Amino acid sequence: MTHGMDTGPAAVRIDPDTPRLLQPLARALLWVNQAMVALGMVALLVASLVLTYSVISRYVMQASTDWQDEAAVFCLVGATFLCGAFVQALRGHVGIEAIAGWLPKSLDKLRRMLVDLLSVLFCSFFSWKSWTLFHEAWIEHQTTSSSWAPPLAIPYGLMAAGMTLLSLQLLVQLSARVNALSKKLPGTIQ
Amino acid sequence: MSMLTLGLLFGAATLLFMFSGAPISFALGSVAVLFMYLFMPASALNTVTQNVYEEMASITLLSIPLFILKGAAIGKSRAGQDLYAAMHVWMGRIPGGLGIANVFACALFAAMAGSSPATCSAIGSAGIPEMRRRGYSPGFAAGIIAAGGTLGILLPPSVTMILYAVAAEQSLGRLFLAGIFPGVLLVALFAGYAVVRYRKEYRLAEAEFLRSGTASALLAHETFSTREKFEMLPRVVPFVLLLIGVMVALYGGFATPSETAGLGALLALALIAVIYGVWRPRDVAPILTATLKESTMLMMIIGMSLLFSYVMSFLHISQSTAEWVVGMHLSRWILLATVLVMVILLGFFLPPVSIILMTAPIILPPLKAAGFDLIWFGVLMTIVMETGLIHPPVGLNIFVIKNIAPDIPLNEIIWGVLPFVVLMLLAVVLICVFPGIATALPDAVMGAVAAKP
Repeated sequence: MTHGMDTGPAAVRIDPDTPRLLQPLARALLWVNQAMVALGMVALLVASLVLTYSVISRYVMQASTDWQDEAAVFCLVGATFLCGAFVQALRGHVGIEAIAGWLPKSLDKLRRMLVDLLSVLFCSFFSWKSWTLFHEAWIEHQTTSSSWAPPLAIPYGLMAAGMTLLSLQLLVQLSARVNALSKKLPGTIQ
Repeated sequence: MSMLTLGLLFGAATLLFMFSGAPISFALGSVAVLFMYLFMPASALNTVTQNVYEEMASITLLSIPLFILKGAAIGKSRAGQDLYAAMHVWMGRIPGGLGIANVFACALFAAMAGSSPATCSAIGSAGIPEMRRRGYSPGFAAGIIAAGGTLGILLPPSVTMILYAVAAEQSLGRLFLAGIFPGVLLVALFAGYAVVRYRKEYRLAEAEFLRSGTASALLAHETFSTREKFEMLPRVVPFVLLLIGVMVALYGGFATPSETAGLGALLALALIAVIYGVWRPRDVAPILTATLKESTMLMMIIGMSLLFSYVMSFLHISQSTAEWVVGMHLSRWILLATVLVMVILLGFFLPPVSIILMTAPIILPPLKAAGFDLIWFGVLMTIVMETGLIHPPVGLNIFVIKNIAPDIPLNEIIWGVLPFVVLMLLAVVLICVFPGIATALPDAVMGAVAAKP
């Protein structure tokens, strides 16, 4: 865990190995991710405010607190999924890199490519299933079981949108790694 | 396919995917989906996402990003340095006082920020250079900070404990309380060791002075006036008040743990705005960005770990393994020792978050059957996982320190840290022998429960 260790937003660069065809998508993702981070910031602050309001309303105004927890859950689920692609752009989803150091460079390049391929497959599958879930919740007007009963399509939609962005981000990164594989082996200047 | 084959296959696939270097979250998710496809009814795949959402959409789990926000707000302000400076001034007179001041500053900061690496970097960046300037050996200085930082996941609010409470279905409030005395015990052990080690280094420095005439900085004495001591207070008191206020809100029954997270985050942001003038959007944005980065990564791992455990339990792998462990009829202390050793081994590679969610369905039922109190065990498990933060090969805190003080050789840091690992294991033994260290406070505040170790 690296809680709050790094200072300032790390610079996100487009991998120079990204194929020309996908460069516009890569640039668009940079921009979209920035927007998602901004949304995420707002969501964090709103969730804090809502929970604080919940304490105050219960003790000062003796009001019942029925919607606050769910509203905060929606904000935080949204922030988590929408920022997934941003974190991936920074390669911030941690993995166990213990064996990476033992592999010869060319084999490690292959490993990195395969890892990205696995991630793309998983995230695309997850996005697809999120969209079907969203679709179902939308047409059946599903709501949560609380008395406030907000539509479930909201968090499902946020999850689906976030995972789709994440899949696109991974796809761009995968393409760069495939490109890097086909280039000359390390040792020669590329 | 027999249960054993299935279990072994599942384990092998998990190891392969994890060690491939893929992000932990995607690796766990892929294993889960793969086994769903191969061994579960076709309809299971259709509800994968619903599963993940329903497991994640708990306000207790989702308080984690807010606790991280509170920690990041405090961690990025100058609060760490100020706290450290105040401790230094107040402890100046005691032999080894500087070391103790560092331990205390780490503990207080950890309790406010709830994070190990953040504590190491906040207190260490001021503390390590200061200790070295005063002649403390580099390894000793690094050890104090690395170990002091680990107090972050024991003292409330700890992310690790939130997950344990969810995985073990125990009361979070009770678990937080149970961590306090063991935290104090560790602080006392660390401070005691700091004094002993200081005396040893002092004697060596004295002998060196008599022999060669070169005086180490360790021999210099320094005193602070009462005025200096009181001048330090105004900047530290608000943060201590925040700490106390949050605890009162939580245990006075004013707020649920998740509400405390929201309240704490907001108060922390307000405090740094008032005291350090950090309120402009461009000052606050880095704090929020860091929070999003950290919490998104963590929540993704948590969501996918929950899916992983769901598959493991649907296929009866966790139950069978648990039954197998129970069936071995180990004596309860051997069972406990085995489990703790396993946690230490896992700590070589995995962050505490994944250890808890992946192992809880397997290790908790046998421990419960053996009559152990799961709150008490949560504290033990947390301390054991903390040692994983400071021992090689992945010991995160060691690398944080390497960042702050790049000129201290890695092996010197590791040797400096080892005595603290021993002290932590000593604390584990003490808590086993005297379970009251963990259970007395929650019992006193929230009433006793039946099962006792």
